Amino acid sequence: MKRKAVVLVLALLLINTAFAYGATTVKYLLWLDDPTDRTVHDLVDKFNALHPDINVVMETVPLSNYYDQLLMAISAGAGPDAARFKDWWLGAFHDADLLEDLSPYLEDWPGRDDVIDELWSTGMIPGVDGVYMMPHQFITFYMYYRADWFKEAGLQPPKTFADFLAAAKALTNPAENRYGFGLRGGSGGQDQWLAFMVAGGARIVDEQGNIVINSPKAVEVNQWYIDLFKQHKVAPPSAPTDAYPQVTGAFQAGNTAMMAHHVGSSVMMTQALGREKVGVLPIPSADPAKPATMGTMSGNVVFSTSDVKGAAFKFISWLSETEAMDKWSKSRQGQLPVLKSVAGQEFYVDNEFFKVSIEGGNYAVVWPPLPGVGYVSAYVWQNTMQRALLGEITSKQMLDEIAAALKEAN
Amino acid sequence: MVRPVNKKERQLPFLLLGPALLLMALIVAYPLLQALRLSLFQVSLLKPDAAQFVGMDNYRSLLKDPLFLRSVLNSVMWILGSVSLQFTVGMLGALILNKDFPGRGLVRGLSLIPWATSGVLVALMWTWMLDGNYGVLNDILVKLNIIGQYQPWLAMPTSLGGVIAANVWQGAPFFAVMLLAAIQGVPLELYEAAYIDGANKFNQFWRITVPLIMPTIMITTMLRIIWTANYMDLVLVMTGGGPGQASITLPVLAYITAYERLRVGQGTAMAVLQALMLMVALSLYLKLLQGKEEGGFII
Repeated sequence: MKRKAVVLVLALLLINTAFAYGATTVKYLLWLDDPTDRTVHDLVDKFNALHPDINVVMETVPLSNYYDQLLMAISAGAGPDAARFKDWWLGAFHDADLLEDLSPYLEDWPGRDDVIDELWSTGMIPGVDGVYMMPHQFITFYMYYRADWFKEAGLQPPKTFADFLAAAKALTNPAENRYGFGLRGGSGGQDQWLAFMVAGGARIVDEQGNIVINSPKAVEVNQWYIDLFKQHKVAPPSAPTDAYPQVTGAFQAGNTAMMAHHVGSSVMMTQALGREKVGVLPIPSADPAKPATMGTMSGNVVFSTSDVKGAAFKFISWLSETEAMDKWSKSRQGQLPVLKSVAGQEFYVDNEFFKVSIEGGNYAVVWPPLPGVGYVSAYVWQNTMQRALLGEITSKQMLDEIAAALKEAN
Repeated sequence: MVRPVNKKERQLPFLLLGPALLLMALIVAYPLLQALRLSLFQVSLLKPDAAQFVGMDNYRSLLKDPLFLRSVLNSVMWILGSVSLQFTVGMLGALILNKDFPGRGLVRGLSLIPWATSGVLVALMWTWMLDGNYGVLNDILVKLNIIGQYQPWLAMPTSLGGVIAANVWQGAPFFAVMLLAAIQGVPLELYEAAYIDGANKFNQFWRITVPLIMPTIMITTMLRIIWTANYMDLVLVMTGGGPGQASITLPVLAYITAYERLRVGQGTAMAVLQALMLMVALSLYLKLLQGKEEGGFII
């Protein structure tokens, strides 16, 4: 009996090796928001088991080094076949002819109609035919507020910019080190800023693709945002350099009454403060008839340099099918599912944080895929916003610098 | 009588040194030359094959760029502030650790912890200590009535000072240990003789200790200047060069230019200029100190 079992195991190993030897290897690069989560490893194992002719080898890189490492690998000619990708990197990579157009592959993909229609545009480039990124995990910015403080102060959750400012003022008390709004002027603050900019009626590009981020309207909304710190002082004095840990830390420690973020932090917030103290609402807008927020897609791409594009597409499209998507979205690093069949499930509809986020998807504005977006997000926005908050440059000067950097070709 | 050296023997040193020289050529000379070459091109990591030769354009545009000049100025403040304070604190530490007191061995060991801590960890620790909302420094200063309300140390135009403080904490133990070793090498008879001659403690320190440990001071300071000039972890993690441009140093700007702006040639030109400026500054520094030594610094 024992002998038979050993022979069986050896035979299975041999078959497995034979398959792996003959299988097409797909190198897949990705970042994980929670590196201790095993969900993606399990998904890759499952895909490999279901597709004996393909062997996906995944490599994880922390998000903070991801862009650099991807660039270095591609520059050295050792890039992956497929990779997890952010929508605002598309412009620079497409500009360098590094992305494969997925349209021909999508014609035969059965999941095509299940993807929420509006979200296809996050993988497209204005003025260019084709789809360059498979939509996968989506986020939209919303606002957390301290429900208990609002109740105590007899305030209603704000729907407009005017209500928002009034509530922020009412809840600010520097003597107690308490402020109305956790403005993020440091690293990564551009997404929160864009949410308020578009909610105020400003846009980065117009319908023709012209850069209008320094238009009079945008200058006005940006001034309003700067004044939250500079004039009204409803944000902590540390706001110019506050990044994610500081903003979330201040909200959890009871230093701020409101902060903007997305569903990715909802579990952490409710665990830290208790569900009853954490309220969630859409980003207030200047005109309640025109709600808007910032959205961003993390999808998957296939590189034009890959020799195994078909197999690579098979894997990334499988990740965007119902079962894999549901698993990923429910994991500790889950964001919004992009499939109608998943987003309609009770789990997402009944959860207030998911509900507000998914609603935001109806009017979310994404960073346009311009070649300069990566540079603006990584440096120019933070540099100019901090100078504007400290009064070194005006709202107009800040937006002129951002507009110039967006136009900058690589 | 000296035997004439034959050809084989003349070749022997080259043969023995060959592997080391080859290794140096591969890991030092090649990257250096490659960097010099790259600084003359306009090149993006996304399009490495489309590199364009631009001659000295990268250098010319840098010298006209106010941000580059600002980063040079910040780098000078960063190096001078960090190294001089590290040296002062390190020297005080070395003098204390040289005294006999109970538990000295333990304190000597523990004092090395900041030096052994990784840069990113130091940066994160200090970021939280200096935090404007609930940092421990604010808490202490408010309780001592030194400041009225919490200050956003890293969000003020003087943020570089906060980063220098973290660097002093991390780097001072290196000076302390190196200077302590040198101080322990000074013969005790010299102090005895000076004491008999009527020299007080300060004179003993200034006339005996300092001149005799001068070679150690020179080499450690020089090493620290080079390391500090290239050290960007603290600035990058604590302030990212901000707020605005308040704390941007040359290596941080070079990194941003090459990896975020994707202008590798221009980023490399910055690194080359920094190396040149460092070489000039260090030559002057060495000349100055050697001059002092020869000019009668040693009694």
